[in-house]
Amino acid sequence: MSVLPPLRRLRQAPRHLLVCERGHAGDARSRHAARVRDHAYNCRVSFLIPECGVLPEVLKSTIADVGQYYLVRNLSVHELVAHEFIDAFVKKGSCYALTYNTKIDQDNTAALLPNGKLILSVDKDTYEELGLQGRPSQYSGKKVMRYIVTVDLTDSGFHPDSKKHNRVLWALKEKKPLEFDFLLAWYNPDAEGSTLMSYFSKNQIQALKPKITFSTLRDLECPVLQSNELQGKPDESCSTEELFEWLGAVLNQVSLNNKSSSFLSTYCCPQPNTMVEKAFLCTITGFIIPEKIIQLLEQLWRDEGDQKNSITIFSFCTALQNPCASNHSSSLCLTLRNESHLKRLFNSPEPCFQNDNGAASEAQRSVF
Amino acid sequence: MAGFADLNLPQGPDKKSLQSLLEAAAHLGYSAVALNHVIDFKEKKQEIVKPVSPLELFPSLPIVQGTSKRIKVLTRLTLVVSDPSHCNLLRSTSANIRLYDIIAVFPKTEKLFHIACTTLDVDLVCINVTEKLPFYFRRPPVNMAVDRGICFELLYAPAIKDSTMRRYTISNAISLMQICKGKNIVISSAAERPLELRGPYDVANLGLLFGLSESEAKAAVSTNCRATILHGETRKSACGVVYTVKKPRKVEEEETPLPACKKVKTQA
Repeated sequence: MSVLPPLRRLRQAPRHLLVCERGHAGDARSRHAARVRDHAYNCRVSFLIPECGVLPEVLKSTIADVGQYYLVRNLSVHELVAHEFIDAFVKKGSCYALTYNTKIDQDNTAALLPNGKLILSVDKDTYEELGLQGRPSQYSGKKVMRYIVTVDLTDSGFHPDSKKHNRVLWALKEKKPLEFDFLLAWYNPDAEGSTLMSYFSKNQIQALKPKITFSTLRDLECPVLQSNELQGKPDESCSTEELFEWLGAVLNQVSLNNKSSSFLSTYCCPQPNTMVEKAFLCTITGFIIPEKIIQLLEQLWRDEGDQKNSITIFSFCTALQNPCASNHSSSLCLTLRNESHLKRLFNSPEPCFQNDNGAASEAQRSVF
Repeated sequence: MAGFADLNLPQGPDKKSLQSLLEAAAHLGYSAVALNHVIDFKEKKQEIVKPVSPLELFPSLPIVQGTSKRIKVLTRLTLVVSDPSHCNLLRSTSANIRLYDIIAVFPKTEKLFHIACTTLDVDLVCINVTEKLPFYFRRPPVNMAVDRGICFELLYAPAIKDSTMRRYTISNAISLMQICKGKNIVISSAAERPLELRGPYDVANLGLLFGLSESEAKAAVSTNCRATILHGETRKSACGVVYTVKKPRKVEEEETPLPACKKVKTQA
């Protein structure tokens, strides 16, 4: 075993997968909503509007209404399995819960999905003590160290006094009580009934609002895109991978000029590019639920007008909800152009939507 | 996956430096550390002292960054053996040795390496990284050690300090990997200062340089450390299954002072 293969591996970028989709305005919308709903837990949503100096009027109300989330300290997991909670929150609307300050590769974590599934990702010792049936996690390797337990709270066989319910309650209450700090959010279009705040008033519950920051970027270089050339043509348009990297750089406020005095980054905007006088960047950080993101998206779509609108929504999320697919962070990037802007950046006249879905580092799946 | 652990933090006499080391380790994300007490038999006769309980040394342990749990502190004893007679200490039922959570041995000759892997009751076998190995590793003792659950320890702090030690670290580690195929490896620092500590993911990446695969490298900082800690715990039990716990003695009230023989008869 020589040392050359690992050194060669280190020089390459980690393996990654970038999936791009194109579609028209009418039917593509449903796919976008489905993609956003796939990512139940989002910690940051950013959008970039070129040629715009201030927040558009139509978005002001949507952003102000981004909703609040709650942080509950020392909440026992068996309280999420209690039937009062299921009837009040899980069955009506969509309830999201995620453990706070737990690392998925080291500690036990739990998550509640809007479809009523409670997922516990536990280490070997906890699994053996808990007594609930689960399956080994995909990323464990030969010596299984991590197990996933799924409890379907909306299952018809999960009514009170059923064997399933009693077993789960016994395991979580007496056999191995699990307690975490939870981030909770609840979306209910009817807006009636008790709220999370009053239900968990006995625990230390804190209501938090997502942090919103605005900034106006001046003299920004934007890559030129062609809607029917996803791979990019040299000297004519940029590929989607270059767009993805450029977006990431802009949203993280990395300077794109590659100054010789700065040692932080040598990244430059990909060629060909155009100079945009000003661009508006808005970042929302917090426990944001997909319903709010879809509302935001639809507002942006509706905002056609004569303003040249090109909005990109970039959200990072940790995907615990799909344990068989991804245990690592993935980012969802939705890019919309409307017709008038297309004429500037694209060369085709018809409106076109691009949906980039990036899943990071397949190589790291086995480790992290 | 288990929490990250650093099983070698040299225990110096200065409490403040130890406290700063602990805080650095907790900040980097280590869930457990072991304070190492080294006994070198080449110097004049040293006695094995009882390990100082971490609760006495540190009144409040720092919280591990990213979780809400406190860092776990264990005690470890390392014996540097250069003569077979030094191993007698391990074979004797010295009460003080049993009190340490992890016992490691640092063999200096090939014969001692063989003895350590096959017969000695230890949890870790340290591999020399500061000088050229005086002996080559052979497959039989290494395989026996892997079967017995003993892990091989590599240090990385000497590599940070000096460039010649860096060469020796990498060459010794690679020759070990060729024999043991990456199983049962533990990578730990021997950091005397907080600056010499590195984060667990960085140490796992260092394992890649030694020739480990990605999962083996991460296991070297997490799963194998957990296995070592459990291996040490089994020494305090019978076959790893039965544990004994001291029950607090009740103070007996005596109404009439009975002679000892009569007391036994009445109790039976």
